[in-house]
This record gives sequence, structure tokens and C-alpha cells, in this order.
Amino acid sequence: MNPARHIDPDNLVLFAMQLLANEEAQAIAAHMEECPECRRELAEVQGDLAIYAHTVEMQSASPQARERLLQHVAREKKTIPIDVAAEPELPSRGFGSRTSLTEDDLPKRGFAGSVFPWIGWALAAGLAVTAGNLYLQRETLKGSLAEQKDQIAQLSTDAATARAVMDTMTSRNAMRVTLTKAQAAPVPQARATYVADKGSLIFQANNMEPLQTAKVYELWLIPADGSNPIPAGTFHPDEHGNASVIMPPLPKGIAAKAFGVTIENAGGSQTPTLPIIMVGA
Amino acid sequence: MYRDTRIVNDPPLSTQDDAALLALVQRGDEYAMASLFDRYSKVVYSVALRVLRDPAAAEDVLQEIFMQIWRNPGGFVATRGSLGGWLAVVSRNRSIDALRRKRPMEPVDDMALPSNYNLADEAERNSMIEKARGVIHLLPVEQRKTLEMAFFDGLTHSEIAEMTGDPLGTVKTRIRSALTTLRKAFTA
Repeated sequence: MNPARHIDPDNLVLFAMQLLANEEAQAIAAHMEECPECRRELAEVQGDLAIYAHTVEMQSASPQARERLLQHVAREKKTIPIDVAAEPELPSRGFGSRTSLTEDDLPKRGFAGSVFPWIGWALAAGLAVTAGNLYLQRETLKGSLAEQKDQIAQLSTDAATARAVMDTMTSRNAMRVTLTKAQAAPVPQARATYVADKGSLIFQANNMEPLQTAKVYELWLIPADGSNPIPAGTFHPDEHGNASVIMPPLPKGIAAKAFGVTIENAGGSQTPTLPIIMVGA
Repeated sequence: MYRDTRIVNDPPLSTQDDAALLALVQRGDEYAMASLFDRYSKVVYSVALRVLRDPAAAEDVLQEIFMQIWRNPGGFVATRGSLGGWLAVVSRNRSIDALRRKRPMEPVDDMALPSNYNLADEAERNSMIEKARGVIHLLPVEQRKTLEMAFFDGLTHSEIAEMTGDPLGTVKTRIRSALTTLRKAFTA
């Protein structure tokens, strides 16, 4: 590839999305180094992708995520450079330099003049060592305190999730639905437990048939108000045919008319692909 | 708790532009970092969640990206493009890397992303999002699905062709055509 022959626009888009094989990507990257025109076009494509990324359904991270970040930020404080006043130029002190200071260059001192300055230096050195030790102890304590704070935050998150799971499993208001294979012997079975006002859902299935690796089962919440089915998580059964979807991210307050399961391509889908292989209301 | 390096008469952080906030972050201002998080965490998290479909993994990507900004705010020079756009694409790329369990590879790191919108402004950002969603909604369904599989599911053109049964060339063209339509709508 040379700068005169520009990159095929289809491949440029795939390169921007990091979807090319290593060899092809490396060749394009090498061309980019030399071709400002292709670099410009790549930037345009990245701009298009940035706009496209914003079309995703917006959801907020948990409040703990913000707290966690700010704790990390506080732990990794930056050292802000301080402007220092210009120091007077010192004579060169290179080894072997003729301008090096020697004993002969220093003024002669008496006994007191020789000893007292050393007492001062010894005190200063002692204080510096003590201060250094205190600083190290303080930094160690700060580090371990921050670590413990993180652990507490993590434990709180875990406890909150566990409490939500228990509430969903035991709530009197929970809707408990058994899903069976449509129009067939009820061998594959699944149970969805859903609390609409909390958006909590626990789904457990068994006797599910195995799938090709490029496919997944996808669970759908079918709203009671007739709006579009909401994807509620994808899953692959284990070797025993068991699978579960625990607390998928769902909007709160959506009353469910039914739940369904479809087979989708890996990665799942935003709209169910017929047929619905399991359904329960 | 946070180190504040602003001077008293500075405008509130929530109204400062990205370049000003990044400059404050460079000086170790934790309030500025919190403001950037409040401004852009939603899009970073939403993109990661769409790709990974796992809230915990999406939050990990969110943390990683914002810590990258804190450690090296100079890595993104605001005058070269839109920070919001850059973050959205980096979030997608990091999430795909996490999905493939491979090391980060970011051609976008050095890139100046053009943007006709000031994504730092919430109203303007919302207007851009509405317009983009409208354009995507009007795309032919094959183009829309193919772009979604490539961008959000990280499937290669060969994988998409295998799944859909469409020829490789068709898959590639659909992805590019969808993006071209989006670009035209925003440059018209």
C-alpha cells in the first residue's frame, strides 16, 4: 500500500471499528503514517462513530461508581509543579575541573568555628530522618485506609444486591411465572420472578436445549401496556441445560404482561426474532 | 476531600468547557474531575453496558476510562475535537476489547474527532442524540442491523456474513452506507 493508492473506504470503516485481522490492520496503520488524506478520512469516520455511539439507550451508572472513582482519584493525587525562583548561577563543579573548590579555597577556622556548624548539621539530619519516617508511616496508613474504604464500598454494594435478590425472591408482590416450551411437551422449563416497581427480575431455567456458539437465548419482558418487548438479558445453558438471568438492568415500574424467550445471534438483539420458543404469563 | 485549585472568581465548573476542566484536572483539581464524570459518565456507561450487557463489567470500563483521564489529561487535547465523542468511541472500543479479552488497541487515541456539536452542553448534546436516533431509525433495516452488529456487538464482517448469509461485500457496504447517511444528515 502506498500513499498514492488510498485505503478502500469500506475497509477504512472496519479499521476504525477494529474489526480487521491483525495483518490487514497493521498494513492500514502503516499507510496512515504516510497519508494525511486517509488520516483525515479516518478522523471523519471516528466522528461518525461517535455520533452513532450516542444513539444508545442512556442509562446511569450506580451512585457507588461515582464515589469509587473519586476515591481512586483522591488516592492518586497529583504532584503540582511549583515555580522556583531562579538560582544564582554556580561555578562548574565537574570532576577534575580546575574550578572545583578545594580546602585551600575555604577560609581557615578555629576549633569552635569547625565544630558548631557540624552540630547544627547533625541536628538537621536527625530531624530529616525522623520527618521522613513519619511521612512514610502517614502514607502507609493513608494507603491502607483508602483500601479499607474501597472494601467497605464493595461490601455495601454486594450487600445491597443480595438484599434486592432476597426481596425479589420473597416479596408477596412478586409475579411468579413458569414458562414452558410452546406447543410441545413441557420439558424445558423456566421460572421468572419479577417485581415491577423495583425492576428486579430473577429468571431460572432448566432442561434447556444446547445452542450453537454463535447463538444465545434472550429473555424478553413483554409490557402490559402493549409497548415493545424489552430485552432482559441473554444466556447460554450449562452442560446440564440450566441457566439463569439474575437482576438484569431493567427500567423500574414496567408492569409485565408476559415473559418470553427467543433465540438470537450472539450478543443478543433489541427486537425479538420469531419464533418465541418459551412464553409465560 | 477534593483538591480545588481554582481561583475564587472562576465560573462554576458545571458551565466550564471541556478544555478548561481538563486544564484543571491537569493541575490536580478533583472537583473538575467530578464535573467531567457528571457530564460524560452516562454516555460512557451506556455504551459499555450495551456492548457488555453486564452492569459490573460496564462500571469497570467506566472507571478505567475516567482514571485514564485523571492520570493523563494531556492524552486528549481538547482543541483537537470533541471530548464527548472521543469518550463514546473509547468506551465502545474498550468494551469490545473486554469482550474479546484482549489488550486495548486504540487508533482513536491520536485522532482529532470532528464535531459540529458542543457535546459539553447538555441541551445541544440531547438535540444531537435525538437527531442521530431519527436518522438511524430511518435507515433500511438491514443497514441498521448490520451497523449495530459491527459496532455494538463487535462482530467482524466475516462473522456477520456467516450469520446473515449475505455476501462479505454487501456487509461491508451496508456498514459504510449507514455511516455515510448519518454523516450527510449532520453536514447537510
